[in-house]
Amino acid sequence: MPPSPALRRALIGYGLLAAGSLGLPLVTRDSYHVDVATTILMNLVLTMSLRLEISTGQLNMAHISFMGIGAYASTILMMRGGYSFWITLWVAGVMAAVWAVPIGGLALRVSGPYYFLITFAFSEVVRLIFNNFFAEWFGGPSGLVQIPKPDPLRLAGVQLTFVGKVELYYLMCALLLLAAAVLVRLDYSRFGLVGNAIRQGDVLAETLGVWVFRYKLTAFVLGSFMAGIAGAFFAHSHQVLHSSDFSLEPMVLLVVFTVIGGTGSVWGPVVGTVVLTIASEFMREFHYYEILVYGAVLILTMLLLPEGLISLPGKLGRLVRRGGGGEAEAMGAGVAP
Amino acid sequence: MAVSDLSMMVTPGAIHGLIGPNGAGKSTVFNLISGVLSLSAGEIFFKGERISGLRPSEICRRGVARTFQATTLFREFTVLQNLLVAAHLRAADGLAPALFASPAYRRKEREALASAQENLTSLGLGGTAQAGRSVEKLPHRDQKALSIAMALATGAELVLLDEPLAGLTAQEREETLGALRRLRDRGLTILLVEHDMKAVMGLCDVVTVLDHGVRIAEGTPREIQENPAVIEAYLGAEDARA
Amino acid sequence: MPIELLVQALLNGFALALVYVLVALGLTLIFSILGIINFAHGEFYMLGGYATYFGVAVFGLHYVPTLLLAIGAVGLAGVVAERLIFRHLRGKTLNAFIVSLGLLWVLQSGAQLTFGVLDKPVPSAFSGIIRAGRVIISVERFVVVLAAVGLIAVLYGFLQWSRVGRAMRAVAQDPDGAALQGVNIEFTSMLGFAVGCALAGAAGGLLAPVFAVSPPMGALPVVKAFIIIIVGGMGSLPGAVLGGLLLGTVEGIGSLFFSSAAVNVLGFLMVIAVLLVRPRGLFGAA
Repeated sequence: MPPSPALRRALIGYGLLAAGSLGLPLVTRDSYHVDVATTILMNLVLTMSLRLEISTGQLNMAHISFMGIGAYASTILMMRGGYSFWITLWVAGVMAAVWAVPIGGLALRVSGPYYFLITFAFSEVVRLIFNNFFAEWFGGPSGLVQIPKPDPLRLAGVQLTFVGKVELYYLMCALLLLAAAVLVRLDYSRFGLVGNAIRQGDVLAETLGVWVFRYKLTAFVLGSFMAGIAGAFFAHSHQVLHSSDFSLEPMVLLVVFTVIGGTGSVWGPVVGTVVLTIASEFMREFHYYEILVYGAVLILTMLLLPEGLISLPGKLGRLVRRGGGGEAEAMGAGVAP
Repeated sequence: MAVSDLSMMVTPGAIHGLIGPNGAGKSTVFNLISGVLSLSAGEIFFKGERISGLRPSEICRRGVARTFQATTLFREFTVLQNLLVAAHLRAADGLAPALFASPAYRRKEREALASAQENLTSLGLGGTAQAGRSVEKLPHRDQKALSIAMALATGAELVLLDEPLAGLTAQEREETLGALRRLRDRGLTILLVEHDMKAVMGLCDVVTVLDHGVRIAEGTPREIQENPAVIEAYLGAEDARA
Repeated sequence: MPIELLVQALLNGFALALVYVLVALGLTLIFSILGIINFAHGEFYMLGGYATYFGVAVFGLHYVPTLLLAIGAVGLAGVVAERLIFRHLRGKTLNAFIVSLGLLWVLQSGAQLTFGVLDKPVPSAFSGIIRAGRVIISVERFVVVLAAVGLIAVLYGFLQWSRVGRAMRAVAQDPDGAALQGVNIEFTSMLGFAVGCALAGAAGGLLAPVFAVSPPMGALPVVKAFIIIIVGGMGSLPGAVLGGLLLGTVEGIGSLFFSSAAVNVLGFLMVIAVLLVRPRGLFGAA
């Protein structure tokens, strides 16, 4: 069977993501550029997994807390337990997923704005716990410092180290491509189809035999697992942790990236994260006006492109065709080809 | 709209009509049976098992599917995608099978696809051009047909149809009535809410009449038509509306 | 523990909570009419604070007329925001979230650029303390409480008995039905948004002399307002009042035993606890 157009688009998209991220160090090895690029890749894991949850119509404001749970879990396991990064990395994901089951299970009993607000409440509780409680473990308000970098990895007789910026970049790259492969695969499977259906009409889906709650919880737990993995990378590449790394502010940025990019497609968060991160680098030119301009850009984008940046090519295409085709297009509207 | 003290029995293999003036509680009954609303008192059994208190998806899995009064579809999907979602219970569910595309997952997906195509054809929506069409662009009749096809695609033995004839032309009504009779002859049980009295009386084996959430009569169409309480409640309401 | 200490703690908790109820009422009014959560709501609170600052500290007006002017001015700002931005976002929760966030940044950084980053103190119009046994409350706080209660009563009367107020409730319950009844949805939404913002502005004006005004001053009240409306149930006016009183009680009594950080956790834990028992809040529709 030849691949369907949808599958072909998925493969092309994934190929572009892989080529772009793997190829970047060939273009620039400038330390600042690599730093920004590494942050983008890490944020991509977070926004793409957040979109998996949003695609059922639920905005989880505690997503970043699971990144935090992963970060602290990996750090404590390595610094206190002496485990290797290659174990703590996965434990971080599992730990986030384990916490996601009760938290998601409770939060998903409500929907819409209630869900939004209850997850926000959870995230604040988690952050305040990191900041104020169990200080001997989480470091209290001063956080954790001197976190070791990832351990070297012996692979087929070759010793790989993760000390330099480019090496860390490639590690993040591998993690992203793994996560993206899972997310893209799911998006083009029954899992993605059903998630999309739930967003369009959860009551209809439920009466057609879809156990909506379990579906949403599955997406929640998987999304949290990925956030936990991103958290472990964050901890060992930044080497310092602070509760404010997992507060409302960075969470809001993740939502902005995801929604501005467009939640209708698995590639929306990729576009949003890359474009907005680079754009905000340029917006530094505005100095004092930076935040003002950034806010205005968000408002205008949402008003002009309600479905996000990802819908821009389609919109332009229609505009061009309308310009060239004129009335024929308008008259033909509604008739299937 | 509240329903109280309602007791009714649907015979397997029959077409059972549920009628009553506006606001009699017909749609509420559908919502209660399908689990969209929960009962405050009482029980509902299907094939000897209690289904009240279960979540809607579980009730559907046990064999009860429904349509909605305002024809409800996944608006952004194509005809085929709608049917594929409806065939969810026949497909391999869950994360791992979808992720690793196990042979069982692929076989079940093929089966779901095949049964979706079959449903399309049986409702006169066949052909690939139709399957790939966005449901937004379908004519009203086809949207109605699709919503019924989706209820069937779940594999249900009892389908609850909420006004399947609303908004159809006389000829489309005849076609739909014929299709419903064929479904009954294949062994399906149908419970339907409908305002078209002539159609209900011609189609149904049994009719239950609701008024203000209470059952006021039940029987064959002939018995119902001669029941004075029905005539008063129903025609009185008709007069008031006219 | 001496009973006076408890009463004092409750009094302190209530005084602030009642003002936050005003912010919460605006938020929940806007939510019920437009179906969106306005994240920039705290910035309208800030605008109310700055309007009061300019009236009292810069132009030397008396506090009471200044407060009324501030409420009107913030209401007008609400009209502008609704017409230019929010009417396009009715019911689009996610997009409205991003847009209101954008507005939050625009207003906050705009305020910073215009008024500077430093706190501006607003002279208090009322001095002295009221003493009842060993319980003490400043006249200033007492006036704030009275004004907040008065505004809540006015809002209740407005929604209950005025023509527009009833139209708002009708739109909140069922927009299509309200439109069929001849309610002008566009106008009602605009007015609802304006009233919601004006309430935030009033809260900002009331607390301006208590705390100083500063560009990020809206962040705290808006978080408190969120807690209040989740606990009370979105779209419910009595729920918001009850939610406020509960928050005041929890924070007031909590402050006797715990550090301020732990008290913050208490508020959120209360949210989670309430939602577990009543997923739509105490007064939310089932």
